[in-house]
Amino acid sequence: MSLNEVWEAASATPFIPLIAKDSQFSVGFNLLLLALVTATLFGLNRSFLGIVSLGIPAALASGFGAVFMICAAGVYV
Amino acid sequence: MRFFTATVLGLLAPSLCAATNLTTPSRLDLPSGFKPPQVFKNINLVRNTNLEKSYVRETINVVVENVDKQPQNDYYIPFPAEVFDRVGGFEVRDKKAPEKGRFDVDYTEAVPSDGNQYFVVHLPEPLAPKSQITLGISYSVLSSLSPLPATIGQADKQFLTYSFSAYMPSAYTTVTQKTKLKFPSNNVPDYTPTEGLKSGSDPERKGTTYTYGPYDTAEVAPGTEHPITVRYEFTKPVITVNLLERDLEVSHWGGNLATEERYWLRNNGSELTNQFSRVQWTFTSYQKAPTSALRELTYPLLPGSVDPYFIDDIGNVSTSRYRPSVGKSAGNLELKPRYPIFGGWNYSFRIGWNNDLASFLRRAAGVDSDSYVLKVPLIEGPKMAEGIQYERVVVRVVLPEGAHNVRFELLEGTNSNGLPGAKHIYAHLNTLKTYMDTLGRTTLTLEVDSLTDEARDSKFVVTYDHSMVDALRKPLTIFAGLLTVFVAAWGIGKIDISIKKR
Repeated sequence: MSLNEVWEAASATPFIPLIAKDSQFSVGFNLLLLALVTATLFGLNRSFLGIVSLGIPAALASGFGAVFMICAAGVYV
Repeated sequence: MRFFTATVLGLLAPSLCAATNLTTPSRLDLPSGFKPPQVFKNINLVRNTNLEKSYVRETINVVVENVDKQPQNDYYIPFPAEVFDRVGGFEVRDKKAPEKGRFDVDYTEAVPSDGNQYFVVHLPEPLAPKSQITLGISYSVLSSLSPLPATIGQADKQFLTYSFSAYMPSAYTTVTQKTKLKFPSNNVPDYTPTEGLKSGSDPERKGTTYTYGPYDTAEVAPGTEHPITVRYEFTKPVITVNLLERDLEVSHWGGNLATEERYWLRNNGSELTNQFSRVQWTFTSYQKAPTSALRELTYPLLPGSVDPYFIDDIGNVSTSRYRPSVGKSAGNLELKPRYPIFGGWNYSFRIGWNNDLASFLRRAAGVDSDSYVLKVPLIEGPKMAEGIQYERVVVRVVLPEGAHNVRFELLEGTNSNGLPGAKHIYAHLNTLKTYMDTLGRTTLTLEVDSLTDEARDSKFVVTYDHSMVDALRKPLTIFAGLLTVFVAAWGIGKIDISIKKR
């Protein structure tokens, strides 16, 4: 099977990004805001429970938020 | 914990860039004194030489007969060694069945005894004795036109000369042959007439077409030359791109295909006799008179192209205009360099734009598949009536970080796509580290020499695998880093550093 035939066979499944270009800024901004709030709350009361309940969500929101924000800024990573 | 361990191992594991069809062009070594075996005879040969653009485009139709007693399948086409590397987009097809695709062609090193280099055409099936096949051979020859006079005034007409042999250089005896030259205009002040090669006037002139021949050359030894030189008006720039670097950057997270092209461009036309006059240039521009200078480049962009930019060594060039596409029509990027580019002048610049990835990328085997297929133009480039020749083109496809099992394929149609065969394109994989990368992005690089704008819109397909772990590498790296900071902050906070009695 030639690669062009692979392309033709895949006509029903175009790539759809997780977040559309138009929504990247709002998603990225909100996730980073959430990360800032939760990281601040964790900073006020640093405990093992705090890591689980606030640190992990903050780190996750920060990871995904940073990726979407840099895409929104025009640097498509 | 198992998930975390697996993730961390996944993040740190080197990307497996296994690829199975990457190519490194090689050339056949021929022994000194090599002469192609005289197993074929060219029964009838018609060479069409098109001089309408700033490079030479030749299409040759030749009826070939096997005069040997054994079936034969290797047909040799010679070129002088100094010309060989300037031959671009070489392609041979069966003229009567072009849809069967191009024939496999090998390149040879120069033969020291006669200085020739050969294209060795492998016929798909050996040609039986006394059988015939019609070959359609097409190629371009770059940098084979020279301006005469070499220097002109700023508003003068420009003339180019082209030298060739009335007898087509062939490794085999040719029974009859002729050459048709197509000029860009009627203004052909000088051409070499022949005497004694045929009865009647030679060349025959009809409008912008000059025909040398037909000649009866059954008794002429292969390789015999009869030099001809023509000189014709070409008051247009001879646009030569010394190097084009083209990057296609695929972003799954951004849903974007970013294209950037870097040009090192030169006008190989007549140089200016006197110093450049801005007043005279303004006058010429106002009259819209023909000029040998490059005034503007028109670059058609695919529908959906957005965010175009045009930058040179100084910075943003504001003398550009983008006419976006409407519906499915192409957009047009009109680029006006900072200064008109006269003969011998250089200009380097970069342009870029973005497209939605959905038009170029598909999941190869269903929605949940880790396998992707990408279809993009190999080169696009400005569309100019006078044509553009590219001495070297380097195309980089920057795939997402972690992409592996990369394969590529050039698309062939029923006509020439202006490219050499896939095995004559140097392809290799490496990694490129840029924003937010830990391992670097898998990059497929294709390098081609001697192309022309005939290759505009030639497309190629790339397939690669990219798993969920590869996709999550960027956010999870940041996640892991930040979580480490939190744990460290908690851990350090637990250390008792108070001063008290023990």
